[in-house]
Amino acid sequence: MSEYLLTQVINFGAPLLGLILFLGALGLPIGASVVLIAAGAFSQQGILSWPSAALLGLIGALLGDMLSFGMGYYAKDWAQKKFGKSAAWRNARTSFQQRAGVTIFFTRWLVTAIAIPTNLIAGGSGYKFSRFMLYDVSGEIMWIVLYGGLGYLFGSQWELVSEFLSNFGGLILGLLLFGYGIRQAWNRKQKTKKVEA
Amino acid sequence: MSSKTRPRQHLLVIGLITIGMIFTAFFGMRAFHALRKFNGHRPPPPGKVETDVELIRDWMTIPFISRTYQVPPDVIFETLKITPQKNHDKSLKVLNDEYFPDQDGYVLSLVKATVLAHQPQPNPDSASTEVPTLTAP
Repeated sequence: MSEYLLTQVINFGAPLLGLILFLGALGLPIGASVVLIAAGAFSQQGILSWPSAALLGLIGALLGDMLSFGMGYYAKDWAQKKFGKSAAWRNARTSFQQRAGVTIFFTRWLVTAIAIPTNLIAGGSGYKFSRFMLYDVSGEIMWIVLYGGLGYLFGSQWELVSEFLSNFGGLILGLLLFGYGIRQAWNRKQKTKKVEA
Repeated sequence: MSSKTRPRQHLLVIGLITIGMIFTAFFGMRAFHALRKFNGHRPPPPGKVETDVELIRDWMTIPFISRTYQVPPDVIFETLKITPQKNHDKSLKVLNDEYFPDQDGYVLSLVKATVLAHQPQPNPDSASTEVPTLTAP
């Protein structure tokens, strides 16, 4: 899929890049990060104009994020009906509200694999839209500057950058899951100690 | 908390730690290998033309390759015996499937060979400035 899209980005330029980043932000598995790094390289080679690629890419990504936030927002009532009585759901909502800013910012560019669930939870948990946009815009700018910039810097060797970044994101996700698991285990142990005391 | 949810939560915590460890080990190794590749491949300095034909991929179009390697597109189309009309926006893979369906990877290898043979000569400034000695006949 990514390879077909790369050919089309060469042919159709920045508007198609914007569309790809929009679809990627909606959760379609089309390798948006790979295409973004490649677009940086194409800009360095003079195939794309970097200002228009960056601008249209940013607009596409933001529109996709807004739409997925909206999906979460409109599914709020359904989720509340289905899981509203669950303590785990209430805890998850409260926990998200506490760390929402950091989560939204870092899932835009560092742990991109969980960006869509984050948007849906943000919309579904009643997180303020203006705040969501603040962290979203900052994160997406970081994503475009970092990924596109590395592609630009490495030019025709951009595939190495793509390989490294995709694995690095997985590594960070693994560390986060591991750290969260350890923390939960620690909390459970402390609770048990308290009960026993 | 009910007695039923406790073992379930315990399992969830163990699951998180296990998945976290697997992800960390798997992606950590891959990221490390990717990082090591960086040492062997440096991007060409700004303004220099790419010369490594091994970077040509079958999703690339001929005008794109022509621009990257500074080899005229007509030369590549001529070698492939394909007309540039209606083919300039097609990837090497599509051209292969269309014109050489029985020869897998033929277009890619031929384009690599053509680019290698027609790359622009290196700048004379960077070549040896030694003047050959003339000998009287």
